[in-house]
Amino acid sequence: MSGTREAKLSLAHKVPPPTGAYRWVYLWEWPIRIMHWLAVAGILTLVVTGLYIGRPYFMTGGEASSHFLMGRVRFAHFTAAAVLVMTGIVRGYWLFMGNRYERLRALFPLRRRDWVNLVRMVKFYLMIRPERAPHYLGHNPLQQLSYTALYAITGVMVLSGFALYGQSDPGGFIYSATNWIGPLLGGMPNVRFVHHALTWAFLIFVPIHVYLAIRADHLERTGVISSIVSGGRFVPVDHHFVDE
Amino acid sequence: MSLPSLEAWAAEETLGQRLQSKGVSRREFLEFCGKLGIVLGLGSAAGPRLAQALQALKRPSVIWIQLQECTGCVESVLRSAEPTIGNLLLEMVSLDYSHTLMAAAGHHAEAALQQAMKANQGKYILVVTGSVPLADGGIYTTIGGRTAKAVLEEAAEGAAAIVAVGACAHWGSVQAARPNPTGAVGVAEVIKDKPVINVTGCPPIGDVVTATLAHFLTFGALPATDSDGRPLFAYGKRIHDQCPRRAHFDAGQYVEVFDDENARKGWCLYHVGCKGPATFSPCPIFQWNGGTSWPIGAGHPCIGCTERNFWDTMTPFYDRLPDVGGFGVERTVDILGAALAIGAAAGVTAHAVATGIHQVRERRKLPVLPPDAGKE
Repeated sequence: MSGTREAKLSLAHKVPPPTGAYRWVYLWEWPIRIMHWLAVAGILTLVVTGLYIGRPYFMTGGEASSHFLMGRVRFAHFTAAAVLVMTGIVRGYWLFMGNRYERLRALFPLRRRDWVNLVRMVKFYLMIRPERAPHYLGHNPLQQLSYTALYAITGVMVLSGFALYGQSDPGGFIYSATNWIGPLLGGMPNVRFVHHALTWAFLIFVPIHVYLAIRADHLERTGVISSIVSGGRFVPVDHHFVDE
Repeated sequence: MSLPSLEAWAAEETLGQRLQSKGVSRREFLEFCGKLGIVLGLGSAAGPRLAQALQALKRPSVIWIQLQECTGCVESVLRSAEPTIGNLLLEMVSLDYSHTLMAAAGHHAEAALQQAMKANQGKYILVVTGSVPLADGGIYTTIGGRTAKAVLEEAAEGAAAIVAVGACAHWGSVQAARPNPTGAVGVAEVIKDKPVINVTGCPPIGDVVTATLAHFLTFGALPATDSDGRPLFAYGKRIHDQCPRRAHFDAGQYVEVFDDENARKGWCLYHVGCKGPATFSPCPIFQWNGGTSWPIGAGHPCIGCTERNFWDTMTPFYDRLPDVGGFGVERTVDILGAALAIGAAAGVTAHAVATGIHQVRERRKLPVLPPDAGKE
């Protein structure tokens, strides 16, 4: 391929040649991919319905008996919550059954090398010496930190959500399992506050996540977005990755 | 000796005999027992059993002490709905000490308390209203020169059962709200060696107080409670789940301001801060002042007065979310959250533009290859 214009753009880790030797690496197995998209649907539904439940922005007129708006919205909220919890359970199981990019260990940047690379990733996004950014097949340390934080926030959302939900059936299983949360936070209104405030974490996370995925897809040209549909990326054969 | 009970009990007199001598018919008594069974959630079939147990009672003694409080709970109990329940209960028990209701005052009243405790050692029911201030040695409430804590501890010593009536006796209520200058706490935080049942509310519904006392008199045990010590027969369900305006909640019909058209239509008060969804109380069923009305029935949102710490956590009463200390009034979480979300979107856009510029610059630095480059 001599003479081929191989652009060494520093922002792109290395823009591969238009043709050349590629290999396809399988990263995300089907449970992860399906759970990802179910979680997308669940989170979108939860945010929209949750903001309505927090402050109903539509009203209905006429007789109450001919409407069931809040009832339906709450039903959608609880159903989406059930879907999200299900994805969480499968994800939790897959922390132990998945491949090296999906396992529990892939959630935390624990090694010293990871922390060095974390700083480099931050610099990369700030466009300070971007050419020194590390190359990861799976999640880089910055991704690990932010996704794990989102898992933690989701956990708090699920617990506070169940605590609020359980109140409709005092003495029931969900109520009994979550009635320590109210006293812990100093009362149910505080639980409600936490549940409401953390909604914004998703509204902040989603645009950044989508943007960075599109950006990486565009700059690196290794099919990053497609990897959460097909499960894998095409990478140049001669490319070395930190986590390979 | 002037005792709150109108006539002193004769020795060895049973409640059955006493009611008969006071002209209460058997029919009235059975009706009362039937209603009591329903209030306690036992069903009307429990009526005869209640009657049997109650009529054999001999001079059940009740000592009612009032500590750091406003007397509102006593007022509420005196307004018990069914005349039979409230009045009959006052007839049923020998109310040996209640400084609001008794004729005696000062040293005479305190002597009556001492005498009643001595005479019924280990058998009386102790009703407590009001919180116990513990700060600065408990000097913020003293009765007869003794602190509320000392009065409570002495009275609790010989009590067969302790009923904490009202939010003050439950957890301290308004005087225990931040910053709680008097160090007010509820009864259960002072008396730890005996079970305390919390008939809570600010004030509680009188019928709940009388039914709790009647339960103890009948079965010799306090009714089953939830994790916060409140009797389940009354505090087992949320206001939200018993509310007559619930249909409007489910339909999506809300009062937006207190004088709007929706308020006149009697729509749901969720928007204007109703705490019914987080409050366990029988208000919608029992109602107040002889079943006349109750807050939501009168168009006012529930303020959550049966929940612990409601002055701190349920405020502002006319908004859905609690205040956040130290954030300033205007900067509520939604403004903060929206600002961050918009900031994230703006940051993403700016970053994308910066990436583009950077990329174009880098590309310009590359050597321009001749058109036939690559062809050998």
